[in-house]
Amino acid sequence: MKKTGQYFEKAMEHSEVSGRFLIGFVGIILVLFEGALASWPIFYGAVPLLSLIFIYWMTLYHNKLMPFITIFIMGLLSDILFSDLIGGRATSYMLLVLFMNLRVTDPQDDEFLKVWINFVIAIIAVMLFQLIFFSAINFAIPSLSPMMFQIGVTLILFPISYIFLFAISNLLERIKVFA
Amino acid sequence: MAMRASDKHRVRQRRVAHGLLMVISFSLMFVGKADILAWRNAQMGANDFLAPAIDFISIPVRGVETMVEGIRTVASLRAENVRLVAENDLLKRWQRRAEILESENRQLRSVTGALAPKGRVPLTARAVTAPGGSFAHTVLVSNGADKGVQPGNPVVTADGLVGMVVDVGASHSRVLLISDINARIPVILASSSWPGLTMGKNGTYLELAFLPEEAVPSLGELVLTSGHGGVLPAGLPVGRVDLVEKGFVRIKPAVDFRHLSFVSVLLGGLEGVDTNNLELEEFYTPLPIDENTRLLEGVNASGARQ
Repeated sequence: MKKTGQYFEKAMEHSEVSGRFLIGFVGIILVLFEGALASWPIFYGAVPLLSLIFIYWMTLYHNKLMPFITIFIMGLLSDILFSDLIGGRATSYMLLVLFMNLRVTDPQDDEFLKVWINFVIAIIAVMLFQLIFFSAINFAIPSLSPMMFQIGVTLILFPISYIFLFAISNLLERIKVFA
Repeated sequence: MAMRASDKHRVRQRRVAHGLLMVISFSLMFVGKADILAWRNAQMGANDFLAPAIDFISIPVRGVETMVEGIRTVASLRAENVRLVAENDLLKRWQRRAEILESENRQLRSVTGALAPKGRVPLTARAVTAPGGSFAHTVLVSNGADKGVQPGNPVVTADGLVGMVVDVGASHSRVLLISDINARIPVILASSSWPGLTMGKNGTYLELAFLPEEAVPSLGELVLTSGHGGVLPAGLPVGRVDLVEKGFVRIKPAVDFRHLSFVSVLLGGLEGVDTNNLELEEFYTPLPIDENTRLLEGVNASGARQ
């Protein structure tokens, strides 16, 4: 006979499904938005990695709402859209999340500066992973300046996105409590 | 606290799923590179599906860009006016020069037949995406197999060569820009006729390689497609020599890829030559430079073979 606790657990898990679905949808829209941003001359060939910021923030503060499959789909979608090395971004994003899940400390206690520095390491690792595999498979090293620009712009946008995501999250919490 | 058997089972299931996704993602990198037809078709199918969505999302983004552009234009109106007057004057002089050269070109063509354009029909297409990543310079353009686009079709603007169609979907095609690291374009220096190969670097500029040792490219010299290989027609402007330094020659592309909105896909021309269709000759014939006497196909400006 099943214990009643298990039913509660199942119910809790099912209640997260709609949230996960919504997060997945937002993630996909964000990837498409990244693609649209490429039409701005300033971001030509080096669009800020908004999807990475989103994945990083979600993994840090709402890990349960960010299933692995969403990260895979987001990565694969941007690979297809930007015609990068197919699977390159998806793999690097998933590796990053796997690594982040190994964190022992509670991210809620971290100062913003620490979060930012960790993000610097994360984005460099993601880009390096892609660069190494791209160079190995194509036997050529692409120009590094667009990559630097991409990293730089993403790092500049990180604090803004961080505040924005927190604001949205707080707003949703309030609506949830109110409802 | 010890984990229950059901929890353990769930954790194990999750780990297996994570591992599986990692393996799929990792192997995709190699499958994608293996150039399997089914994979390319699936990719283009996905692009066909995604293109309208990204197009829809781009509307507000383009709106903001237009607004910023408008503000910038108003701010620089006076300077722009002065510049336009000077440019207009220069263009008038160039127009007169072009008329003379066009007539000279026509005469040369009737003699040699070397510059007869192949049977290519321009098809206007809209650039749906722009290169967003650091690892690939490709754009998705509207029109695909339904309009007769084929892999290998050159893509141009009035300024010159943009790239070449590499993947064709039902209603969209992917164009490999000449600035992509995988793009190799056989070219010649317009005034000295030395052949070479431009190589993309996934950046703003191209590198001109495989030039003969005797070649001395001059700054600002026009670089045109040579037509070697038979895929690209000869005489499409690729760019201009921008830097010459210790054997390294840098080319600035003729087309500004940051402002790519509409392009022409040159259909046909891959099977045979249609000498009746001379539509493109006015736009894509090489422009000889005064100071140098060597011209495309080894004929100098006075018509003498070199």
